[in-house]
Amino acid sequence: MTKRYHLLILLLLAALLLAACPASSTPATPAASTEGATAAPATEVVSATTASAATKDLWADITARGVLRISTDPAYPPQSELVEGAQKPAGSKCTGDEHVAAEFKGFDIDAAVEIAKRLGVEPCFVTPDWTLITGGKWSGRWDISVGSMSITPERMKALYFSQPYYTTPAAFFVYKDNQSFTKIEELSGKKIGVCSGCTYESYLNGSLEIPGETIKVVVTDADVHGYDTDTSALQDLALGDGVRLDAVLTALPTGQGFIKSGKPLKQLGDPVYFEYLSAAFDRASSLDSASFRSKVNEAIQAMHSDGTLKKLSEQYYGTDLASAAATFDFANLKQ
Amino acid sequence: MSVIVKQSKFDQEQSRLIGKQLVAKEQQSLKLHIFKVAVVWAVLFAFLGLLLYLLQIDLPYIVEHRNFVLAGLWTTLSVSLISILAATILAFLGALGRLSTNAIAQGISGFYISLLRGTPLLVQIYIIYSGLPQIGTQISSLGYPTLGKLLILSPIQSGILALSLNYGAYMTEIFRSGIQAISQGQGEAARALGMTHWQTMRLVILPQAFRIVIPPIGNQFIAMQKDSALVSLMGVWEITYRANRFARKDSKFMEMFLLAAAVYWVLTLISEWLQGRLENYMAQNNKR
Repeated sequence: MTKRYHLLILLLLAALLLAACPASSTPATPAASTEGATAAPATEVVSATTASAATKDLWADITARGVLRISTDPAYPPQSELVEGAQKPAGSKCTGDEHVAAEFKGFDIDAAVEIAKRLGVEPCFVTPDWTLITGGKWSGRWDISVGSMSITPERMKALYFSQPYYTTPAAFFVYKDNQSFTKIEELSGKKIGVCSGCTYESYLNGSLEIPGETIKVVVTDADVHGYDTDTSALQDLALGDGVRLDAVLTALPTGQGFIKSGKPLKQLGDPVYFEYLSAAFDRASSLDSASFRSKVNEAIQAMHSDGTLKKLSEQYYGTDLASAAATFDFANLKQ
Repeated sequence: MSVIVKQSKFDQEQSRLIGKQLVAKEQQSLKLHIFKVAVVWAVLFAFLGLLLYLLQIDLPYIVEHRNFVLAGLWTTLSVSLISILAATILAFLGALGRLSTNAIAQGISGFYISLLRGTPLLVQIYIIYSGLPQIGTQISSLGYPTLGKLLILSPIQSGILALSLNYGAYMTEIFRSGIQAISQGQGEAARALGMTHWQTMRLVILPQAFRIVIPPIGNQFIAMQKDSALVSLMGVWEITYRANRFARKDSKFMEMFLLAAAVYWVLTLISEWLQGRLENYMAQNNKR
């Protein structure tokens, strides 16, 4: 008898809890409503996406709003870095959450602006953390990433890639005064810094695959130290030989740029592999991105064939890193 | 009889004099104490200065680029202010729920506090920024696109929501302790006068409880100004984001981070000063 009574109470309680579920969301409402009142530009973004839901096609959506929303992480000079004192032009359609091209500079920024120009829309930039970009599931917050992203099978699960717009060699860097390392093979078992989630980390773990390329792993059993970005790893290496790190595996231009800024590092050996760097699109997008992706591919191909990308590469890297990407067999990517 | 009066009059004079001397002595030792503390601060500042000197900070660089970082001040402040306001409202509701005799209200607030205090703020930010939209997409595909889109929050909105929910949970306990600090006798007296439960709360308990909880709320606000740096993760250009990303241009990490640290410290000093004034004001009201 009492058992049944307890069961009844339990059932009632469960029912009440379920009924109270809408009520449990009420604590969130004061916060949400204050935001709505104060962050007016932010709500515009939401309403813009709401309006677009009817179109179902991403390219139609982009042309309708006249704005291409590009994600970039301005933590990687010379690809993308911040510019001081930039003003938003008067006629800009970028919302309060977005930034205009003038607020950045770099190879990626110039390439993105050129893509937007050829598509006939205004480029607007958002700056989420790199891990939020590579993970996909952008929820329609931005349309495309033009962020020197390497094509990897892992990323292809979450993202679509464009025809690569340039390539980057990956190279090891060690402390300037170091004499003990003469060959890359000698770095096996040493403390090596990389950016977390980058291809450099996969390379050291032996799990890197690059479509269209055979990877030769020469460094084994490395003590891999993950960092938020390459520059943090290089910063730690610059503290001294073996103080925190013995070496850093990073993009050749990134390491060279660091050395150019006066940091006591040097390159070790030749590049270990090449990455193809592409623009990326969200696979989980609720809008159909197929026509948008082919538009972007056309634009990138045109930028290859008229030498725009080669010129940009020479301007920012002092060498032609673009031409090798023009011949990349896009059809073979199978995405 | 008259002799006694005379004597006591003399005593009064005497004791007043002694009292004055004692007060003067006390004030002097207080002044000396303040002076000593100031000297300790000065020494510590000098030591900090020495450390900065050893760091070989490029001061002209900081001065030249200060405006870029300072431009994030407004974002940091508004995110913190909106969040602390929302958190205060949440905490107030949470505390009422926790002290309520209603099982549902108690259950909800208990669950809310446990969940939000039991998980890291950073994880909460990730879940609200990246997780909520996924729920939204599911809801949209079920045929409620307007409701689904509501769950796709902008970076600033996500940050404010996460900070409010997280701090609201911690502050619920502040409110609860504030309410419970009012002696039970007062509630009983109010009820004896015929007040309802809500009247007792509104007219007797809460006005006194608010006075108690204001200093810890100020403390939470000071903490929140620094935790608001976590919204930089989603690309909100507040102080930390600007300092961090700008530093990468010229590899001037220490310069930019020290600038950011100084800005936060000044913000905290101003908040502490305001909090002190508020506390004094509250204490005045409490004088009999």
